[in-house]
Amino acid sequence: MKNTRVSQLPPSPGGLLNRALHAFSTAGKTYGAEWYILLVGLFIVVFMIFMTAFPWLFTSFNPSDQDAGPQLAAPGGIHLMGTDNLGRDIWARMVWGAQTILGVAFAAALISSLIGIPLGLLSGFVGGPLDRVLSLTMDSVYSFPGLILAIAFAAMMGPGVVNITLAVAVIYIPTYYRLVRGQTISIREELYVEAAQVLGAKRWTILGRYIFPNVIATTVVVFSVNIADAIMTEAALSYIGLGLPAGMPDWGMDLSMGKKFLPSGSWWLITFPGMMIMTLALGFTLLGEGLAEILNPKLLER
Amino acid sequence: MKNLMRYLGMRLLLTIPMLLILLTVVFIVMRVIPGDPVSAMLGDHAPVKFVAEKKHELGLDKPIWEQYIDYLAQLSRFDLGRSMILQEAVTAPILEKLPATIELTLTGLLVALGIGIPLGAWAAKNRRSVGDFTARLYGNIVYCIPFFWMGLILQMIFGVAFDWLPIAGRVGSRVMSSDFDQTGFYLVDTLLKADLKAFTDVAIHLILPALTLGITLSGIFLRLTRANMLDSLKSDFVLAARARGLPEGKVVYGHALGNAFVPVLTMLGLQFAVLLSGAILTETTFSWPGMGRLLLERIYLRDYPTVQGIIVIFALFVSVISLLVDIIHALIDPRVKY
Amino acid sequence: MKKIAAILLAALLPLAAFAAPSTLVYGTTEKLTDLDTGSSWDFHTWEFFQNISEGLMTYTPGTTNLVPGLAEKLTANAKGDEYTVVLRKGLKFSNGDVLDANVMKWSIDRVVALKGDPESLISSYVDNVTVKDAQTLVFKLKLPAGYFPALLATPPYFPTNPKVYPADKLVHDPTELTGGAYVGVGAYKLVSYKRDQEAVFEKNPNFHGEAGKVDRVTIRYYADSTTLRLALDKGEIDLAYKSLNPADIVDEQKNAKVNTIKLDGAQIRYLAFENSQSVFKDKNLRLALAYLVNRQELLQKVYLGQNKPLYSMIPNGMWGQDTGPYKALGDAQVGKADALLKAAGFTAAKPFAFDLWYTTSHYGDAEVNQAEVLKAQLEKSTLIKVTLKSAEWATYKTQWKNKQMAVYLLGWYPDYIDPDDYTAVFARTEDSVGMGINYSSKEMDALFAKEGAASDIAVRTAAFKQIQALWAKENPTIPLWQGDLYVFTQKNVGGVKIGPTLIFNYNQLTIK
Repeated sequence: MKNTRVSQLPPSPGGLLNRALHAFSTAGKTYGAEWYILLVGLFIVVFMIFMTAFPWLFTSFNPSDQDAGPQLAAPGGIHLMGTDNLGRDIWARMVWGAQTILGVAFAAALISSLIGIPLGLLSGFVGGPLDRVLSLTMDSVYSFPGLILAIAFAAMMGPGVVNITLAVAVIYIPTYYRLVRGQTISIREELYVEAAQVLGAKRWTILGRYIFPNVIATTVVVFSVNIADAIMTEAALSYIGLGLPAGMPDWGMDLSMGKKFLPSGSWWLITFPGMMIMTLALGFTLLGEGLAEILNPKLLER
Repeated sequence: MKNLMRYLGMRLLLTIPMLLILLTVVFIVMRVIPGDPVSAMLGDHAPVKFVAEKKHELGLDKPIWEQYIDYLAQLSRFDLGRSMILQEAVTAPILEKLPATIELTLTGLLVALGIGIPLGAWAAKNRRSVGDFTARLYGNIVYCIPFFWMGLILQMIFGVAFDWLPIAGRVGSRVMSSDFDQTGFYLVDTLLKADLKAFTDVAIHLILPALTLGITLSGIFLRLTRANMLDSLKSDFVLAARARGLPEGKVVYGHALGNAFVPVLTMLGLQFAVLLSGAILTETTFSWPGMGRLLLERIYLRDYPTVQGIIVIFALFVSVISLLVDIIHALIDPRVKY
Repeated sequence: MKKIAAILLAALLPLAAFAAPSTLVYGTTEKLTDLDTGSSWDFHTWEFFQNISEGLMTYTPGTTNLVPGLAEKLTANAKGDEYTVVLRKGLKFSNGDVLDANVMKWSIDRVVALKGDPESLISSYVDNVTVKDAQTLVFKLKLPAGYFPALLATPPYFPTNPKVYPADKLVHDPTELTGGAYVGVGAYKLVSYKRDQEAVFEKNPNFHGEAGKVDRVTIRYYADSTTLRLALDKGEIDLAYKSLNPADIVDEQKNAKVNTIKLDGAQIRYLAFENSQSVFKDKNLRLALAYLVNRQELLQKVYLGQNKPLYSMIPNGMWGQDTGPYKALGDAQVGKADALLKAAGFTAAKPFAFDLWYTTSHYGDAEVNQAEVLKAQLEKSTLIKVTLKSAEWATYKTQWKNKQMAVYLLGWYPDYIDPDDYTAVFARTEDSVGMGINYSSKEMDALFAKEGAASDIAVRTAAFKQIQALWAKENPTIPLWQGDLYVFTQKNVGGVKIGPTLIFNYNQLTIK
């Protein structure tokens, strides 16, 4: 029994990559709304990531240049989205601001998942009192309004990129935990896992070969939606003034600064930052939901 | 019946550890600050002895375990402490501002349900149609609109471009809230005083903030209702109802929707957290004198006891709502076994 | 019988119309802090006290003429370190309580004993207060101070009703007072107060001075400037004062339905340095920054051209101001700044890097813009690299106490109207510690001693001229600009008499 080789264990029903490729190739035949939704989401995300990585390809203006144009110029001409009250080009601030918001959101989601997933795996797999205590804790935090927790955290720790990222990360840990734990528990009950256990597979093998790959599929979906959520949270924190210090262009802060100019007619100061936040969050949401719709049927077929 | 009681009893018991965990989390978060909260709060004229006195008053010179026990003991007496910056008990501003937030939250929730549920049911009925697709797209998009941006856009359109609706506060400038304020729920108060003019004023001020909260949240309820309706419409009892010859409208909007309603109710409990977050952002945008704005104001003032007190109240709220939803769910959902 | 009653009623109806009280609604974004002269030191709360209470000395509305208020007579001894005040006869609080010298002494002692921020306005100057008789008070000062009468016009020296205020603690809200309401001696009574919502004032029949013309003044508190502007546009308020956004000020000035009253504010904004141990202890580096600031551009960018550039710590409109030295330095002198920086050893590869601090809450939300513009201006020199940092007001104060900020944006409202209050408070050795400036110079101290001791305005002016010349060389702080204040009223409002003292007397207001 000790010498059972991994290759002799029952096969895992299709890895993630196989399923994804299969899904893509049949998607053309599906032509359902879900496919289009996914495409739109993907397009937005890829576009935004491109913009984050190569901002200079999208604008020639420096987002902090206060002499880019006249103050409060309306959209049009060389200033696609107009200029703000300090004479900075707004489109440039949108382009370069993507780094800020996406950076924080991505980092926060990553940290959340790196903590939440292992905890969920452990909890679901091991069970027992550890699982009960952890589960209760995570459920309690999950039920609490995330933004309020993030606000409290950000307020206590003070401004700064690291602090804001941590504040946002903390509130999503339960999301990953709950999802992974649930999945782990249900996979653990599956017949092929039992079979593997009977055949003498070590715990780590079971975790690594059966549970983890299957869990990852749904985690990717949640990761995408999580980034969307983190984007909204970061924007909210910036809007109420608990975000990053001045220096980096920030959509949320531009919104909050811009609303002062609304009654005097400079509508472009708030319209574009808001649109960018919405579009970016929407992109990740559609991507995540689209993936979920496509991968979901496959998951259930097992 | 006995089983029901036992289930409820256990659920109630579960609330205690959950609440405790939340309160502990609040305690930890409030002490994450680097440095000394007292020095951060006091001004230039703070001699060392004075700082030490204040620290002692707040109990900050005790070891952290003692502080934790004191904290819990204080809370069990319903004492939230005293504000550090202003000479008042923490509960004072909270009691004053809480009704404003509740009124906003409830109205927003009504709007969200009022838009989301009918649209979701309709979308489920007309599955795979253009209308269905549009409704689902609406559901997705609207959730990605930041609450504060939605508020600003509504202000821009209805408050500035067309001067139709007010964009700030609970009452207009010429209306004295002290004339009717009793419970803090102005819609109720103005009716109690039979002051129709004030009631209209209060209601008008609620429109844009409630829309801001409601529209953004309607998307979730739309999708939920739709998903549950789809299941519901496929179920046996709907088939039976149709077979009995009931008119389609009654089948869909009566039976199927009634059945789909239960999971929506459950979701309501979970969405309450989002509702509260949204309320804070909406209050900021509309200068609404509620708990959200109070929280931010006191954060700026570094009034930690009040900030802590507010978050504790939120934690209490969430626990209570979660408990209520579970109880109601247990009572009305035949699938829940006890 | 019925017929007579009906006729009487008809006759009385127009009288009823006459009896309707005149109301003026005044909108603001300011906030009341504590309703206690022992703890409040902010513009708006002082405005309350200036209307619901009064000082021994006061100003003729709209002017800088210091005249007796509650006092009948004020005399100083030969040395100038003892002031005798004789109160008017028959002074009463609005509820009939008697105001005499004992009450005055009690009020002043209370402020000192409770050790709030404003007590320094008393204890820095006054050694003790004695009551000679029911109408007479004697102030013994620590040092001769020619400007002491101006101090008597400030709220810490105002009377507090001992039957209403506790002797042993500071009061935040009028609900904490005995009887639940404030009782004062001013032209108006505070009839009701709801924090952050409204405050209602009605005429005080027991006021000894000029009665108010408007029966009821209501202050409406607005959470932000945008809603204040909209309220003004919609006619929901009769008067808007402090503060509107620059863009809204531009619009309202053009608004034909609204009267604009522009005032020279007494508020100054400046850059403060930590002079004793930070990187800025080298005065040449401070001078370099003084060369680089561009005041006009700063005002144009951040305030759309409102407010006035300031070339001296002493504000425009005050006697003794000499803008020569700073004007000689000029604005945006990148070349001269570079020369100094190079001499200090900085290069483009290794620039002079420091943090510029600003506070997010205290001065309004345009502050971050101001910091951003300054950063851009300073970085026009390639030998400088600025990192912007911010903190809320409470932390900001702690940080300057702990010398944690090398250079930071600050503002100043005068306590009393005198050039001394714009200079000595920053640069005299003992006072400089207060704002974290920590500047010390024997030369400067000697000049302050000279102007403080003198009562001849010519001597004082000459001393201040030398102080300002030295300031431009030493730069313990760099003056940036002076605020304009705007009051907007509907067309039917008059009597807005706010002078250089910035005291806003409601009893001058009229409304048709």
